[in-house]
Amino acid sequence: MGKLYSFKRSLWVFHASGGSCNGCDIEIIATLTPRYDAERFGIKLVGSPRHADVLLVTGAIPRDFADKLRRIYDQMSDPKAVVVVGNCGTSGGLFYDSYNLVGPIDEIIPVDVYVPGCPPRPEAIIDGVVKAWLKIEKLEKQLEGGE
Amino acid sequence: MNFTLLSPSGFWNPLLWIAFLIIFAIIGYIIYARGNPGYKKNTEQVKPYLSGNAEPSKEEIMVRAGDIYWGFLEALKGYYDVLKTMHTGDMRDYILWYLGVGAIILFLLVGGV
Repeated sequence: MGKLYSFKRSLWVFHASGGSCNGCDIEIIATLTPRYDAERFGIKLVGSPRHADVLLVTGAIPRDFADKLRRIYDQMSDPKAVVVVGNCGTSGGLFYDSYNLVGPIDEIIPVDVYVPGCPPRPEAIIDGVVKAWLKIEKLEKQLEGGE
Repeated sequence: MNFTLLSPSGFWNPLLWIAFLIIFAIIGYIIYARGNPGYKKNTEQVKPYLSGNAEPSKEEIMVRAGDIYWGFLEALKGYYDVLKTMHTGDMRDYILWYLGVGAIILFLLVGGV
């Protein structure tokens, strides 16, 4: 395997929203506003999982969305990390044990970081993404070591 | 030997063309080599992102030349439905139509009275 460059520059994030009430999604957008401005660290949302290093998942996952979420995860190139934002994705939250939901998310795809909260504050989301970043750097070193 | 062709409409030199081809091939390779080498071939990683949906088969999503006439065919659907039933694909039917219409024209031109 060749040398990986992407994490020496910036971290690109793809946001997949399942059955979210939009509370967590609004907080994710808030992290990009001038008050928190995550983009100054190179952390930015991208429109395709194929360009992303981190997958942010919000909301409980409806039955029909499970295979789509799995496919989104599979389409991300390695190394990659998954951050679940909010109570619903972490444990089902308000919708725990609902008949039309599957999950929690870690039963569908491997999750690296949980950011609990309903919704979590932008500081918590940034902290979660930074934890994912550290995880990815470890994975990157493993990949480079394996060449 | 002179490879340059000069004409009123332009200039052509195959050696120059090959030189540019090599230069652009090298530039293309450099761009390609800077891509992420971490992706796995023959997995979902090389398939297009369609909001998480599976990629439909090419037959399902292909726009055929006939699709350009969709509005025309839809507007004249009643007319085409009749035409389609007449087009049986049986040569004997077509000959029968030919003879029938020929007889009517003859009747109109020559007169049956």
